[in-house]
Amino acid sequence: MTLGTFIIKNALRNKRRATLSILSVAVSLFLLVMLQVALRELTNPINDEGSSLRIIVRNKVSLAQPLPRRQLQVIERIQGVAAVSPFTFYGGLYKGDEKFTSFAQFAVDPERCPLLISDAKIPKEQYEAWVADRTSCILGRLTAERFGLKVGDRMQFTGQIYPADLEFMVAGIYHGTADDRNLMFHQSYLDESLGNPGTVGTWWVRAASIDEAPMVTERINNAFANSSAEVRAESERAFVLGFVSMWANIKTLITGISVVVVFALLLVTVSTMSMAIRERFRELAILKALGFRRRELFAFILAESCGLAMAGALIGAGGAWVVFHSIDIQKATNGLFILFEVTPQMMGLAFAVATALGVLSSVGPMLAVARTSVVQGLRTLD
Amino acid sequence: MPETVVAIRNLSKIYAQGEIQVTALNDVSLDIEMGEFLTLMGPSGSGKSTLLHIIAGIDRPTSGRCLVQNLDVTGLNESELADWRNQNVGFVFQTFNLIPVLTAFENVELPLLLTQLDRSERRRRVQTALDIVGLADRMHHLPKQLSGGQEQRVAIARALVTDPRLVVADEPTGNLDSHSAQEVLMVLQQLSREAGKTVIMVTHDPKAAAYGSRSIHLEKGELLKDEAVTAR
Repeated sequence: MTLGTFIIKNALRNKRRATLSILSVAVSLFLLVMLQVALRELTNPINDEGSSLRIIVRNKVSLAQPLPRRQLQVIERIQGVAAVSPFTFYGGLYKGDEKFTSFAQFAVDPERCPLLISDAKIPKEQYEAWVADRTSCILGRLTAERFGLKVGDRMQFTGQIYPADLEFMVAGIYHGTADDRNLMFHQSYLDESLGNPGTVGTWWVRAASIDEAPMVTERINNAFANSSAEVRAESERAFVLGFVSMWANIKTLITGISVVVVFALLLVTVSTMSMAIRERFRELAILKALGFRRRELFAFILAESCGLAMAGALIGAGGAWVVFHSIDIQKATNGLFILFEVTPQMMGLAFAVATALGVLSSVGPMLAVARTSVVQGLRTLD
Repeated sequence: MPETVVAIRNLSKIYAQGEIQVTALNDVSLDIEMGEFLTLMGPSGSGKSTLLHIIAGIDRPTSGRCLVQNLDVTGLNESELADWRNQNVGFVFQTFNLIPVLTAFENVELPLLLTQLDRSERRRRVQTALDIVGLADRMHHLPKQLSGGQEQRVAIARALVTDPRLVVADEPTGNLDSHSAQEVLMVLQQLSREAGKTVIMVTHDPKAAAYGSRSIHLEKGELLKDEAVTAR
């Protein structure tokens, strides 16, 4: 026998309690990792090169306010603008979706798009077919796979924001963007259905270079300052973060839930360890009598406590890693999340929390053991 | 001339229970020689267990000295005392106090985990100790698979395995039937007579005391009678 075997045998002496303790840590850490992943997905928008070049221009009053179409000519002439296209969120309900739209549809100008969606990979003939047919659309691969759609199929939408029900023919299927779910169609088709109102939702601008992007943003804002339709131009990343902020303070909410989970877990672990040590007080006194020093008893308690917490972390955080790598999160969340990635930092956080739990839950029992003499311990009833 | 193993000088122990002070030992002086089988007798509260605990280094006196092989154990700090106990004292308790999740072998091996002995030497010592108490064939049994008498003999093996000078036993037969008690007492007697261990045993039972070589009676913390016991 070694001291390690002795610790393991002690930790597992009440198998039901040990199992339940490990499971309580595992479930809580699984939840913690899941919350962290969700928080990351919600607050950490794509930040690739294409995204850094793209600028979204919206009405300064509100995103819901349209912008006049005449602004196009002004934006095109601004120094550092490489491409510009209308970018109007249609928000129709696809007949295949039950209650809410699980993928976005944007009205754009297909001829102005190639530079704006340079990361999208689409066969040339499909792109040309899209440009040529005003009622056609291109569809992200994920949505096409989800609904079993292929080139030539038709899609029907009921307008939820605009009073226009639209039908599209799928002209092409693209992939390679950070979010291969979206549908893009002709702004002119939407304009026609709405009676040519002369407005767009937002402008989608590509700066000539990453260095120029901040200046282009400023120039666009300045260009429409004090006009009847002042704009707010911002990077795509800032725009997405602005969207996230509309969900109220989700970061605080998720962080709050995570803290509550960890605190509840701490109470459970402290209680379990206190119980486990209290019922072995007499045995610990015997060990002291046999010559074990306080520091060795502390080490036993710490190892047992940390061992249980680490086993829980392995199952919980490891389980989250396995689960989120195995399941199709897009399907599981009905398109809410595209990716659910457990990062090494999240695993580190889970194991750090487990270590802290192990240490904190052993403090009470350690103090109790330190304060109790051998004679007092021997008088403890079994 | 027999060697004095334990020399107790003017030992007093006073417990504070709230505002009341209880004198457990009052100015006790005593010499215990090597190889003696000393029994401490007396009514409950007479101070016999307190005296045993102080000699064994698990309690401290309020005043006085307790020298074991010329070392004043009352002057050792907590850590030194733990080391000293591990090397010099074997404990046998009334309620056996074996670790329930460890086998007889592992229970006996426990004090050796604190030593530098290698695995094979530990194994040899554990087997020898279990042979002495006649339980070599039960070494892989858990405490719950042993009778009370066998559990106590495992506890004695655990007390012997570090080859201590002193074996202290606090009412070791208190939880045993008469047959098992006799077996345990004979093992303790054998340790004293054949292995030269100094055995100090607290007991209420005059029959148990008859196995010793010397008997001391305490009452209200004072030595009342100190007498040699006729060999049994």
